[in-house]
Amino acid sequence: MNFDFDLVVKSFPLLLLGAGVTIQITALSVSFGLLIGMFVGIARLSKVKLVKFLATVYVDFIRGTPLLVQIFLIYFALPMIIGQRIDPFIAAITACSVNSGAYVAEIFRAGIQSIDKGQMEAGRSLGMTWSQTMRFIILPQAFKRIIPPLGNEFIAMLKDSSLVSVIGFEELTRRGQLIIARTYGSFEIWLTVAFIYLVMTLTISRLVDYLERRYKIDDKH
Amino acid sequence: MISIKNVHKKFGKIHVLKGIDAHIKEKEVVVIIGPSGSGKSTLLRCVNYLEEPTEGEIVVDGISLTSESNINKVREEVGMVFQRFNLFPHMTVVENITLAPMQVRKMSKSEAGVIALSLLEKVGLADKADAYPEQLSGGQQQRVAIARALAMRPKIMLFDEPTSALDPEMIKEVLDVMKTLANEGMTMVVVTHEMGFAREVGDRVIFMDEGRIVEENLPDELFTNAQEERTKLFLSKIL
Repeated sequence: MNFDFDLVVKSFPLLLLGAGVTIQITALSVSFGLLIGMFVGIARLSKVKLVKFLATVYVDFIRGTPLLVQIFLIYFALPMIIGQRIDPFIAAITACSVNSGAYVAEIFRAGIQSIDKGQMEAGRSLGMTWSQTMRFIILPQAFKRIIPPLGNEFIAMLKDSSLVSVIGFEELTRRGQLIIARTYGSFEIWLTVAFIYLVMTLTISRLVDYLERRYKIDDKH
Repeated sequence: MISIKNVHKKFGKIHVLKGIDAHIKEKEVVVIIGPSGSGKSTLLRCVNYLEEPTEGEIVVDGISLTSESNINKVREEVGMVFQRFNLFPHMTVVENITLAPMQVRKMSKSEAGVIALSLLEKVGLADKADAYPEQLSGGQQQRVAIARALAMRPKIMLFDEPTSALDPEMIKEVLDVMKTLANEGMTMVVVTHEMGFAREVGDRVIFMDEGRIVEENLPDELFTNAQEERTKLFLSKIL
């Protein structure tokens, strides 16, 4: 078979635009996911039974159902309840953030639990409240420890964000599909799409390695 | 100053404290001794509610430990020093000491800093203000932990085996700081295996075993003239 290199060159700028959108969704979703995940992760450790229960239901539901189904639920099912169409971009970001939040929550929970119990006791024995101790003592230490798993979550989200192509949102995968529909260059385009994903994920994992090394050198500061 | 009435503590089915009654007066230094598992650390941790008694009442400085706000009030008045120091590893020595005064007492950074430096002076570590805990020896870390607790200007200090995690040559530097505190009139409750300290500094020694107070007396009396067989047996093994 012939490899149409010309097609790759011609499509590359369009695919790069798609890659930019992919990075955008990923960055936004993981940022919201971090915020959701921090609170839900803490809620999972709450002594208040209802709070803990709700957080657990959320995490279990999200981790126990496919992201693709969650995207459908938000894009197709939710409009029936609220009686209004949802913009694909909003739907994509919402689905990915809510999804990421559950995974990040588990990362936070594990990170917080890995901090020695004596740290909380020391904070409380000094008269600080639970939330003051959490904020100034536990979370800063936990945060450094969870950089590697958070990096993995970022990479996983970057790849999983390809799923939002099904609701017609034009990120990297969807761009590829559209170009193929026009040119029938399946082989060239999918190979190029895969290559672009690979470059992005490898870059992120190098970045995470760097951060991890930096914090390992001055581990505790 | 501290009044403990019929305190029980159960961890699941394990009955750790079986009805403890004790009163600690202002400026008194009370040393609690006993074999491991006797409940002495648990009793100490009940005083600032790190452990919640299953039954009974504890009143500290006129405040009954009932509601969450009362508990925080008591903790502001009661300093605690732990066996494993529990310094905050991501903060410098001075930050360790100033955090609680700034957050709880709402002191300004400079105000808290002045107090921190004078306390570091007191424990002999003025030159370590900007070091991180991991750069200090065990003895130095424990002295910082004492300074951190003192920065809240507590009326009572609790020590939970403060020298048990230290190398032998570092024990003295920590005990010396504690002696100074006792001489200044601090009310102290000390769980320790350091019988020399108990004898020299303690006003009263409480011997605990299997969740009960077996015997309490003046240090010299208890060490030389114990009444209970259990106390004699314990002392014969450690003295």
